[in-house]
Amino acid sequence: MDQITSSLVPPRSSQKVTVPGSAPDGPGSVTKRLTNELMTLMMSSSPGISAFPKSDANLFEWVGTIEGPAETIYAGLSFRIAISFPSNYPYSPPTIKFDTPCYHPNVDIVGGAICLDILQDKWSAVYSVQTVLLSLQSLLGEPNNASPLNGDAAGLWNQPEVFKIQLMKHYRPLEASA
Amino acid sequence: MASSAVRAQVAAKWQESFNRLNRNEPGISGLLAFSEAWTLATEFLRPRDLNDPTPRKQYDLNQVRVAFGVIGECRRLPVMMEVFLEDMRKSQHLITREVEVHMALYESNSDPESIRTLVYRLVEWYDTWKPTTDLGSTIISAYTLAFQTHLFSVLPPSFARGIKALISATLERIICQSQDPQDRVLWQAFDTLSLIDRYETLIASIGYEIIESHVKETCAGKWAEPMLGTLRTWMIDKIVPWMLYPFARGATNADEAKTMMQGVGSRFDFHMHKTLCTLRTNEMFDIIVDFPDSTGALQDLKECLARVDQRADLVHALRRAINKRLLHPGADTKDILTQYVSTIKCLRIVDPPGVLLFKVADPIRRYLRDRPDTIRCIVASLVGDGESEDSLVDENEPIQPLQQPEMENYSDPDWNPEPIDAGPDFRASKSSDIISTIVSIYDTKDLFVKELQVLLAQRLLAVKDGNIDRERRNVEILKIRFGEAALQVCEVMLRDMTDSRRIDQHVQSQKASQMHPTIISRHFWPALESSDMVMPGQFQILQEQYAKEFSVFKPDKVLRWLPHLGRVHLQLELDDRTLEADVPPLEAAFIELFSENDIWTVDELVLRVGSVTRTAAIKALATWVDMHVLKEDSEGVFRLLNVAEGPTPESRPQILKPVAGELPPVMSVQQQQAEQMKIYWKFIEGMLTNLGSLPLDRIQTMLKFAPGYDRTVEQLGGFMEAARREGLVSVKDGMWRLGK
Repeated sequence: MDQITSSLVPPRSSQKVTVPGSAPDGPGSVTKRLTNELMTLMMSSSPGISAFPKSDANLFEWVGTIEGPAETIYAGLSFRIAISFPSNYPYSPPTIKFDTPCYHPNVDIVGGAICLDILQDKWSAVYSVQTVLLSLQSLLGEPNNASPLNGDAAGLWNQPEVFKIQLMKHYRPLEASA
Repeated sequence: MASSAVRAQVAAKWQESFNRLNRNEPGISGLLAFSEAWTLATEFLRPRDLNDPTPRKQYDLNQVRVAFGVIGECRRLPVMMEVFLEDMRKSQHLITREVEVHMALYESNSDPESIRTLVYRLVEWYDTWKPTTDLGSTIISAYTLAFQTHLFSVLPPSFARGIKALISATLERIICQSQDPQDRVLWQAFDTLSLIDRYETLIASIGYEIIESHVKETCAGKWAEPMLGTLRTWMIDKIVPWMLYPFARGATNADEAKTMMQGVGSRFDFHMHKTLCTLRTNEMFDIIVDFPDSTGALQDLKECLARVDQRADLVHALRRAINKRLLHPGADTKDILTQYVSTIKCLRIVDPPGVLLFKVADPIRRYLRDRPDTIRCIVASLVGDGESEDSLVDENEPIQPLQQPEMENYSDPDWNPEPIDAGPDFRASKSSDIISTIVSIYDTKDLFVKELQVLLAQRLLAVKDGNIDRERRNVEILKIRFGEAALQVCEVMLRDMTDSRRIDQHVQSQKASQMHPTIISRHFWPALESSDMVMPGQFQILQEQYAKEFSVFKPDKVLRWLPHLGRVHLQLELDDRTLEADVPPLEAAFIELFSENDIWTVDELVLRVGSVTRTAAIKALATWVDMHVLKEDSEGVFRLLNVAEGPTPESRPQILKPVAGELPPVMSVQQQQAEQMKIYWKFIEGMLTNLGSLPLDRIQTMLKFAPGYDRTVEQLGGFMEAARREGLVSVKDGMWRLGK
């Protein structure tokens, strides 16, 4: 008798294991936030910056495109970047890397890592993909030579002709397919 | 030399034969008697030429009978029969000649009467040659067989034609109620010669033909009453009596006749149903057009289809007719809808489970789906615009909620399996509600709800006296159909109308104004055509004053004027006359400007009222020209006629047209969709910029990031194709990319 009744009772312990994640909201709200950001970005029509999720299955991995601002040494070049959002976005900044090699004082020419304060300690939840992309675009024209990731580039910054040669040596034009 | 044994055997045989013939009579008297009997019998039986003028020799029938008895006793009857048949064979040329003579006559004059004569004559020959019945049935039947074999071998093919005409004539006489006693004789003659058996199919085909022509004659185009009953009576009254001759000959009583005729009778009955069914199938399109005056025909068809398996034919014929006569650009959408509704109603009568309807309706539904104004048409008839008399909706039909296709309930005790010819995608629609069926043309009812909103907006804005009871009633009716939630927006729109009046009353009570705006909630109304028009002069002042009062009354709301909508009632005071006019705002704006200045060019006027198209401006000015208030002095230059001018020769007198009460410009659902597509384009642009080239289905799945995206791949394909034509994208191997 005892055995029968106990077997009818469903095991209790296993169900409440899921501990809420570090983010105060569930992943649903991150998705919502990212969807909204995408919508804003699409409708904003800011010239020269753009980004879109890599696939419809994963909203946390985006591909972006930044065109070099006019009247800078990067004018006419387009750079592809990879944006990866953490699960607790926007409480942590997205990880952004250059996919196109970018010869720039604040960009690692090999790994594509970027040294930009708002992507590290100065990150705030009010920033969005759009603001980050705009910051990156302006970073191209106005590098922060005080904290270079690429020392050579920082050194050559004041010699535009030499810098341009180096830049073009590393640069690869965008291919059509992702 | 023959041995003695052989000799003995021959002698024994001889003796036996002799004994048989002599029948133990003394001496050879038996043999003599037999010989006499033989001579008499063969002479008696010898076939005679009817045309031989010499009178027939009379025989003493008793003697003949005795003679046959003698022959029979001697067991010589078979031999005698052979002799007789041999004699017959020798005389066959007589019959051949007879047939040839008559058939030659028939072929020259085609008169069936010559066939009749021939048949009677043949019977005469047959009877003349026939051995007496005393000789037993074996001989008679051997004779009949021999006679018929020869006869049939000499009858030419044209005989069939002749006998058909002859028999048809008998049937026609029966149908015309003029029974000819001759017919009975004729049929007996046929029977004697075994012509009925030989020509049975031919006789049956006469029956089929008569039935077919009768059905076509009496039923074609007569759809009001069911014809089957009448046809059955006709069959019983006319065909059955005729059938008795060929098919129930030899029947002694009614029951026997019935059994004998059962086979052919049911074939005739089937043929009658089949003919009617084919006829109605071919007429189906017109029957549907005539519905409900063609209910009788539909009931007939239903009964026929149960008997005759021609459902596939019906579907085929009807689909063909619909494709040819209905689904072409020349047909009005409203007509197509009406015909569709009639089709639904008709086929429900013919086939309640709805399989036929499903098969026939499919092309109509697909066609309607592709027509741009279908929804508008349906919605217009849903709310009943009052003008059209034949609304799709039957007024007497109770209004009921839209029915969703439901899962089959297998625990239902009345459950029936789907009919055998139902296709795999067949869905039984149990509903008898026409509107549900029509609405289900589209996958979602949202489209309808949106179109309803547009229509309602147009109608509300067109209301001049503030009486919106009719619209309210419509919305209430539609709520029953579409559900409360779907019509919430419409509800808000209605409330806006009443609120507008209340607000207006309040504003007027604070500060009386000539202006009575309709205040609508932008969010809930379908997009109205916007305009940057600015009202000049006193209108501007009126607007500002009103807006001020409004903002006092409703501080949390801002009025945004749509000055190009609405009507203005004006009183024009000119030097010599006063005019009243009820005009659209643009006209009012222009005439207001003429109070500043007597002469304006079109361009100056357009500049003063903000952005209006030149065409609209000229149209507005033409209104005043028509009313003899303005005059176009030279092209594009207008002058105010402070003093009326008589009609000059070149200005033709124009009839004062009331300014067309056009429906307010509410963006149609189509325009709204184009507007939405602009948003989606941004997304497509975004993904193609970053992801390079993509196939169409990938774009489709990626577009799920765009809020509210609900297009099909086909729609997207069409859109991308349009973008390609504009040079925005290019496609190669199914991969889309930006630019050329």
